[in-house]
Amino acid sequence: MDHEIIQPPTEQPHPPRRVFFRWLTSAAGAVAAALVSVPFVGYLFQQRKQSVHWVALGKVAEFPFGETRTVAFDNPLRQPWDGVTAHTGVFVRREGPGEGAVDRFLVFAVNCAHLGCPVSWFPQSGLFMCPCHGGVYYANGQRASGPPPRGLFHCEWRVVDGNLEVQAPHYPTLHDTLDQTT
Amino acid sequence: MASRHTLNGFVLALGALLAVGCDWPGKPDPGTRQRAAEELTSFVPLYRQHCVGCHGADGQQGPAPPLNDPLFLAIVPDAELERVIRRGRRGTPMPAFGIEAGGELSDAQVTALAQGLKSHWKSDEKLDEPLPSYLPADGDDSTRQPGDRERGATLFAVACAGCHGENGRGGEGSDANNAIHEPAFLALISNQALRRIIITGRSDLGMPSFAGKDGRPDDFSTLTSPQIDDLVALLAHWRDEQGQLANPHTSNVP
Amino acid sequence: MNHLLRELGNWIDVRVGYSETLLPMLRHPIPRAADGPMGWWYVFGSASLTFLLIQILTGIGLSLVYVPAANEAYESLVYLDYEHPFGWFLRALHYYAGSGMVVMLLAHMTQVFLHGAYKYPRELTWMVGVVLLLCTLGMFFSGQILRWDPDAYWGLAVAGSMAGRVPVIGPWVVHALLGSEIIGAAALSRFFALHVFVIPGALLTFLVLHLWLVLRCGISAPPAADRPVDPATYEAEYHEELRQGVPFLGDAMLRDLFFSAAAVIVVVAIAAVVGPKGPTGPPDPTLGGANPRPEWPFLWLFALLALSPPAAETFIMLVFPVVVIGILFLVPVVSNRGHRAPSRRPVAVLAVIVIYTTLGALTYLGVTAPWSPEMRAWTSAAIPTDVVERSSPLELQGSLVFQYKNCRNCHALEGVGGRRGPDLTTVGTRLTRDQLIDQVSNGTPGGGNMPAYGKQMSPAEMTVLADFLVSLRPSGQPPAKVWSSSPTTRP
Repeated sequence: MDHEIIQPPTEQPHPPRRVFFRWLTSAAGAVAAALVSVPFVGYLFQQRKQSVHWVALGKVAEFPFGETRTVAFDNPLRQPWDGVTAHTGVFVRREGPGEGAVDRFLVFAVNCAHLGCPVSWFPQSGLFMCPCHGGVYYANGQRASGPPPRGLFHCEWRVVDGNLEVQAPHYPTLHDTLDQTT
Repeated sequence: MASRHTLNGFVLALGALLAVGCDWPGKPDPGTRQRAAEELTSFVPLYRQHCVGCHGADGQQGPAPPLNDPLFLAIVPDAELERVIRRGRRGTPMPAFGIEAGGELSDAQVTALAQGLKSHWKSDEKLDEPLPSYLPADGDDSTRQPGDRERGATLFAVACAGCHGENGRGGEGSDANNAIHEPAFLALISNQALRRIIITGRSDLGMPSFAGKDGRPDDFSTLTSPQIDDLVALLAHWRDEQGQLANPHTSNVP
Repeated sequence: MNHLLRELGNWIDVRVGYSETLLPMLRHPIPRAADGPMGWWYVFGSASLTFLLIQILTGIGLSLVYVPAANEAYESLVYLDYEHPFGWFLRALHYYAGSGMVVMLLAHMTQVFLHGAYKYPRELTWMVGVVLLLCTLGMFFSGQILRWDPDAYWGLAVAGSMAGRVPVIGPWVVHALLGSEIIGAAALSRFFALHVFVIPGALLTFLVLHLWLVLRCGISAPPAADRPVDPATYEAEYHEELRQGVPFLGDAMLRDLFFSAAAVIVVVAIAAVVGPKGPTGPPDPTLGGANPRPEWPFLWLFALLALSPPAAETFIMLVFPVVVIGILFLVPVVSNRGHRAPSRRPVAVLAVIVIYTTLGALTYLGVTAPWSPEMRAWTSAAIPTDVVERSSPLELQGSLVFQYKNCRNCHALEGVGGRRGPDLTTVGTRLTRDQLIDQVSNGTPGGGNMPAYGKQMSPAEMTVLADFLVSLRPSGQPPAKVWSSSPTTRP
């Protein structure tokens, strides 16, 4: 069947009422769109407020001086449905007893500063090596060689009642590290 | 009727195809699922991943002392074998593999390795010599004296100098580079490792055992346990002459 | 019965009007030459479409069993592989048909480029095609994440680290990508939504647009060397050409159908023989031995990143892809007229050859990944027995130190071991003892590829290691002398 082509009416000056209605419609549309998108964009991108969690890694005495240990724990930043992905590893190195016998620890995230791959600790050579692109770090976390732009990410730690605790780490990236200093 | 036969044939073929379908090569084998878990604690893959590098592909002809050595396996106590795998051997490049000592092997894996070494390579043949003990004398054995380096030097001239040269400075001809009176060599080998090598020799590289006569003078007689103590005392003395080469990772020679 | 069906068809047609709209579209004429042997060049686009249909079908199938939750996804994949009837086959087919779709898209794009079919008036068709390629690659990446194993977990880590390099808003982009502070359930859900709703929605929308443009602009005739495109006259010429055209619906479709069928058979055979890919293990980031690798369409980028100087890296991660996509997008804007035949466009042919050679070489490097250390080589790669047999006690100790200090992870002996650094089988002929000690102690100057071992080694260890390295020479070859390799240390 053939459709009749509707001819637009010949040009006439719009009555003010029609102009106002067009304006009103645009405004109402914009308001409606904003009302929907603001909460939706917030839902997608806004970060949930997280309180600081501390995780106990064990008695200070369990960490021998000058040695590096891998400690795994369940990250309290997890959701109940995170499964094994919430398992988090950190390297803990207890530095020699400092002045005034203050405990000094180095706690590193396992993620390479290059692209986040998991580095491995080799006590024999005293180096961390990354399996992805061969980034290498010294025992103190400083970059030794390869593509990483910086050293390993340091976690915040504290000692409470003889227990070493670490601040639950998020996934560290270049501009969002785990401590304030580096 | 012919069409009925064709139809039957078709159905049969389809059934056969489906049945075969269950054995398509791409179908994951449920067996691999269990095997993957078992491989974590089975000797061969563990040995291949963690030991081959130094002890050799077949437990022989690696730079580290051979593990595929019936004499060694006959005298080494099970507990000592496990302890060394777990904790490493200080004073030598043998690292600690136990997870609690910074390695990556679980207790079960260490046990599997230690037991696997014996079950794979221990010989059923009776070794007829009276075998020296793997570890030096314990303190409660009052009849045993600590090693004496003077006696050791005399023994060395008979039992070792043929290849390692006078005073261990290297032999003649093809033995010229067999020197062991070298500070760097001695700094990286512990007394216990020396004792073990003197007992077992290196059959894979031509070094005779404590009882071997090859390349030794006619008046050589099988080394006894105290004599081995004496030899170790001599080598330890050579090492102590060179204190400056002690090294931070391997300094605690037991 | 037939009569009834026709009645029903008429009843619908009166209301829908397909005989006026859809049928003419399908019967649209295509140039006669495209129905000849040259028509075999035109089959790749329809094959991509066929694979897309298979992906939709298998994807819906998999979604019936797969659980897109971080704590269950891996188990549901294992269930699919081992227990659900034909679950393994659907997984395999979904992977290989997806791979086939990428291959067909690339072939299709290459053909369109080589034949100059993107020129006037089909510029927009090309641009929408580029969007479809991006959607498909997005499907590939998001699909890999759904295979919730260590590769998926570390793939997210790498994606997060790249996003984290964006200046100023980096942390915000990372959070938008992962949906949480840690890599886990939120990230999986995000990529599930991308893989199942967002990207397919975009892909189908742009696909409809692409097909509409194909119908509206018509299928280009095979290029003729003497007929360059001139936008002023093209429409008339094409219209003239179509007067002798053949309808697409009918025999002209046979080639497409045959090729698609053959492609599907090949992919099904591969799926049945090779089986599903992964999952390699539960996505537990604390399990050792992780060695993450990207999927094959991204291996070239993996290689490019590994080989680029650190200073250029952030640029390659963040700017380079935009530039490449921009260039692809702008191809028809830069040249929308002139010759179409490859014989008259040597630069275009050369560009295709260079691009595919580069991609091929980079992908090969990505597979072998010689820049990655072999993390277990120090305990799993034996010292060659001929080296052991000729070694002195000192050299034996040196080879132990070589293994113990993890040198083997980056340096091969007789081809076995890591390949990040040079193979050291004959290093004794190249470097003197002093040079070796200097290299080991100080590493690559300026913090290059080799770490400085000076503080990691005792004097005894350094001594025996140098003895061992100097001894690494073919028998009879003298050790390196100072003047032969390092003129600067000449007295």
